Amino acid sequence: MKTALMIALIVLADSAGDILLTKGMRQVGEVSTLAPRALLAITRRAVQNHHFLTSILFMVMHFVGFLAVLSWADLSLVFPATCLVYVFSTLGGKFILGETICSYRWAGTMLVCLGVGLVSIQ
Amino acid sequence: MQAWTERMTIIALLALAIISQAIGNILLSQGMKVIAGESQLTWNNWVSIYSQALQSPPILLGVGFFVIFFVLFAVALSRADLSFVLPAISSEVIINVAFADYFLNENVSSTRWIGALLIAIGVGLVVRSSPKTFGISNGRETIVESAR
Repeated sequence: MKTALMIALIVLADSAGDILLTKGMRQVGEVSTLAPRALLAITRRAVQNHHFLTSILFMVMHFVGFLAVLSWADLSLVFPATCLVYVFSTLGGKFILGETICSYRWAGTMLVCLGVGLVSIQ
Repeated sequence: MQAWTERMTIIALLALAIISQAIGNILLSQGMKVIAGESQLTWNNWVSIYSQALQSPPILLGVGFFVIFFVLFAVALSRADLSFVLPAISSEVIINVAFADYFLNENVSSTRWIGALLIAIGVGLVVRSSPKTFGISNGRETIVESAR
């Protein structure tokens, strides 16, 4: 139960981090150059962006949670189970962002759910 | 011939990236289990456990392997199509389970192997059919978009 809760927390933090980072970087702008001065300007804009900063917070949460669960659970359970992030992203895409989800993606999502179910059988 | 060489370079980069990530996970898992030892992580001891983690060589090395993974993955993405790189990365599930079985002696059951295989196929399908909407994790997709 503790493991399941922790994995849920990791997956939610990962999904939230992804969405916020994507949003933040879209606001910061395209990184189309490797010139140090331009990169510095982009970095400065990124560290002032609220979405970017919050995404880092979620990534830290994700990492801290991942370390915690690894202190007692098997990696062969934890790592595959964290793939539930794809299920959440698909559901988020459908119900929050209003994306059209193709049948391949639904099939993939179901396979991930089934797989996580099998992986967590003791 | 040049296209073939380029393809092989990308496959080699991806293979190294996936292996680095799996080694990173093995080191984190091993490091955390040594630190936690017999006493489980609780509300009372989490500060001491995390401060030990920050000084633990296996965990710091594990983080180093994640950095290597990230660099190799970014380089692979800058040279190849997303529709090729993202599904290829889905094999990391199998590699992680195999490494956990071999290096951490986790005695992975056949049910767990089948589950991991289904997850890998599922992740492959999800990322293949939606390469533009989200990345593998930690917003790597954003970096790809930005790099182009």
